[in-house]
Amino acid sequence: MAPRKVRAVIGSKNCDDPKIDYKNIQYLEKFLTPQGQILSRRRTGFCTQCQRQLKQAIKRARHVGLLPFVV
Amino acid sequence: MSQIYEAMVLLDNDVVRQGYDSAKHVVTDTLKKYDANVHACRRWDERRLAYPILRKNRATYFLSYFEMPGDRIPAFRRDLELNERVLRYMLVAVDALPEGEAEQARAEDGADFTVPPPPEDDAIELVAEPTSELVDEEVDEEEMLMLDDKED
Repeated sequence: MAPRKVRAVIGSKNCDDPKIDYKNIQYLEKFLTPQGQILSRRRTGFCTQCQRQLKQAIKRARHVGLLPFVV
Repeated sequence: MSQIYEAMVLLDNDVVRQGYDSAKHVVTDTLKKYDANVHACRRWDERRLAYPILRKNRATYFLSYFEMPGDRIPAFRRDLELNERVLRYMLVAVDALPEGEAEQARAEDGADFTVPPPPEDDAIELVAEPTSELVDEEVDEEEMLMLDDKED
C-alpha cells in the first residue's frame, strides 16, 4: 500500500490562537480553499477547539459580508 | 444580570454620505433606547462587501461594545432588523472589552478626527448581458416546401 501523501500544514499547533477573530480577514483567508470552503483540520493543523473557533469566526465573517460564501 | 456584547453594524453608505455623526447616531441612539452602557462605539471600516447585501456593494462597519441585560436583547435585535439604514448586524457576547478599543473610540470622538468619505457609487455593477452572435436562421417557407418535394 502506497504511503499517504503528507500535505503542508498551514496553521500553527498552538491552541487559543489570539488571531482567530472574524475581523481578522487576512488571517482567516489562509484557511479557505480558492472556492471559499473551510479547510479540514488535517490541513489547518489546529486542535479540535481551535478548528471550532476558526469555523465560528469564518461563519461570522461570512454573515457580515467580510468573506464570501462561494467564490 | 448584564453581559458585555460586541455589535457589528453595517450601515448604508448613503446614510454616511449625508453625515457621519447622524450615521453614528443610528447605532448609538438605538443603544441608548435600551439603556445600554456603551463602552466603545467607533467606525471600524468602510469596505467592499464580499457579496451584495440589500443591493449594495459597499458598506460602513460600526463596531460597538456595550453592556446590557439579556432580556432586552430580543427587542434590541428587532429594532435593528426594522431599521432600513442598517444593512446587517451581528451581536456577539464577549467576556471583556478588548484592549485598546476604548482608546480608539475616544480618539474618534476627538475634534481632530476626520472621517474619509465613502466612494461615490456603491450600487451593484450591472453585468451586461452577453450578446449572442448567433442569429436565428430564417427559413424560407418556399425553400422548405421544395425540400419536401425533393424527398417525395
